[in-house]
Amino acid sequence: MSPKAVFGGMLAFCVILGTIRANDTVIGGRKKTELSFWNGWTGPDGTAMLKMIREFNTENPDVEVSMQRIEWATYYNKLMVAELNQRGPELFVIHASTLPRMRRAGFVSDVSDLYSGAGAIRESDFDPYVLDQVKFGKEKIGLPLDIHPQGLYGNVDMLKEAGFVDARGNARLPVNREEFMRAIRAMMKTPKGDATPSVWGYSMTMWRNNFMSLVPQFDGHYLSKDGRADLANPGNIAALTFMADLAKNKLVPPPENQLGWVGYRQKKVGMVVDGVYMLGDLLRLEDMKYIGGPIPIIGNHAATMADSHVLCVKTGLSPEKREASERFIRYLSAHSIDWAKAGQVPARKSVRDTPEFRAMQVQYAFSKQIPTMEYPPRSTVLFELDFEIDHATEMAIRGDETPTAALKAATVNLQKVLDRENKDYGTGATP
Amino acid sequence: MTFNRRRSLTGLLFLAPYAISFVTFIVLPIIVAAYLSVMQFDLTAKGSIHYVGLQNFKEAWADQYFWSGIKATLSFVILMVPSMLVFALGTAIGLNAMSRGRNAVRALLFLPGLLNVAVTAILWGWFYDGTFGLFNFLLKKVGIGEVHWLSEKALAMPSIVVMTLWWTMGGTAIVLLAALQQIPRHIIEAAALDGAGKWAMFRKIVFPLLTPVLLFVVITNTIGAFQVFGQPFLLTKGGPELATRGLVQYIYETAFNNYRMGYGAAMSWMLFAIIAVFALLQYRLLRRSVA
Repeated sequence: MSPKAVFGGMLAFCVILGTIRANDTVIGGRKKTELSFWNGWTGPDGTAMLKMIREFNTENPDVEVSMQRIEWATYYNKLMVAELNQRGPELFVIHASTLPRMRRAGFVSDVSDLYSGAGAIRESDFDPYVLDQVKFGKEKIGLPLDIHPQGLYGNVDMLKEAGFVDARGNARLPVNREEFMRAIRAMMKTPKGDATPSVWGYSMTMWRNNFMSLVPQFDGHYLSKDGRADLANPGNIAALTFMADLAKNKLVPPPENQLGWVGYRQKKVGMVVDGVYMLGDLLRLEDMKYIGGPIPIIGNHAATMADSHVLCVKTGLSPEKREASERFIRYLSAHSIDWAKAGQVPARKSVRDTPEFRAMQVQYAFSKQIPTMEYPPRSTVLFELDFEIDHATEMAIRGDETPTAALKAATVNLQKVLDRENKDYGTGATP
Repeated sequence: MTFNRRRSLTGLLFLAPYAISFVTFIVLPIIVAAYLSVMQFDLTAKGSIHYVGLQNFKEAWADQYFWSGIKATLSFVILMVPSMLVFALGTAIGLNAMSRGRNAVRALLFLPGLLNVAVTAILWGWFYDGTFGLFNFLLKKVGIGEVHWLSEKALAMPSIVVMTLWWTMGGTAIVLLAALQQIPRHIIEAAALDGAGKWAMFRKIVFPLLTPVLLFVVITNTIGAFQVFGQPFLLTKGGPELATRGLVQYIYETAFNNYRMGYGAAMSWMLFAIIAVFALLQYRLLRRSVA
């Protein structure tokens, strides 16, 4: 054979190979349905999910689920582009708060049949508020796997040293504003001759999430009842003022070097507010003693912000893939106690009521906030809202704007987005 | 087939891979972006695409974030381009004067440019870290307190510029070194015999002869600086208080976070116009000085 013919043959082989895209494989004479599952669980939670997927694949030899983990920061961009291009995964995770916008793109399927018929997951097994997040008219476009409220983490040794112990001598978290401020001050340690503390009682983590966790406590909101931007309401101003005052009075590390979660891990900070999903990070630390619990009542009543990972299915799947996808979702939901171990609160009440879950200190303590939790507003402009809150909280906490001025500017900007949304789509921002 | 036809066909075949990729990845996106810039197109809204004329451009003109993006971009350009020129030229002159080890130093200088922006940003993120960073560790050794390189408004952009200089200066310095080495030795020797000092020699001979290459370096660096994205996006995410959120980042966020492709495309064209105007101005000014 001439070199030309060999080269030509290789080229043709490569071209043919490149055009082949396997959808299903045949194992032992039976067709195996392959499903791709995308999510943003790049931390220890991803490892836990991978284990669950392997178990599912073993128990269901006719289905092969493979997982693709993408950082949340770019996850939705990639998911959106892939799905619109018809090259996206069959299964994917969407935050409950992001559902309105993703649904509008038209690639998220109605999965109402998961809640009815044979093998149905009972609707009554979910908190109505959580289930409402996936309801759009008569459709249910996903199944909530978990609930992840924001809560308070505390360093056990530092709490004890600050005098926060219960009747049994165990460390306890502050439960109200007065106790919280007392704990902050008691934990701060400033070396002799230094102006700046080396140990802090509290540090803010992600300003937006910290702010949105306080907003419901002060009866704040983001949109008025008629769907207009309303960030500068008295509740929001009070919540942001509380945070700005902590910075102004030097009760938290300076905004330029706020330490945050890293400082808490390193025992330079006694308490932080963060999501239950951060527990996975603490579980890896052998010498860290911590407890978790509800956010202290800083405002008028107990409340916090939360969200859910919702399991969704792509539209237009073949009956085999659709059936396999629903089987997988049912499996994950039924085994969500394993998911809880990675640092989550299961969405299903029946799972939360098990002794196994109740024995999980942080997850169970965080779950007590479910009756008073609030999700971000159901809006197609959530990303824009997040950006405005990020900017407003930064301006206020750094002391470059008053909380009122910062929130007023954010309201003006968000209203422009809402006006455009109403003009272009006529649907308003709250579907 | 005649020899000439065969020759031109061979030439075309050699050119084909580049020509195809150029059309696919440069020409087509430019045409699509031009089309999108006059359309309303939200990726999340099915069937949303429709013609809006110059509406997207008008919106950008009135958009405060567009202008804050321009401001951040300009501050990067203003800090970056002159410092790049000064440091790269200084380095090239130093290298040119070296009689031994020039090649090794040249290779070392060029090395950072081989790194990916993500690797460079992660590395410098650690250097700049307020608590554990190398720079603050060194400052502490000499009794200076913590400096918040990336989280203080006044320092964030200069810190990004320093990182970019480290990352990209090698390439520019090598181009300038090549230009320096092209200057005929007899002119330098004649000037030395006439008693010209080093400064006079640089001002009257070296600098004028370098001007065409400087023109190239200034224009390419300006164009590159206007397109800054990776460094601030990875190091500061555009903060603090949007001080380092350049226009390209805003365009990216508009198109891929908020899914407004039409508006993003319109702003891209506006950025293109700004770069074209600056490049043309520089070209004219420097051409005049060459003449």
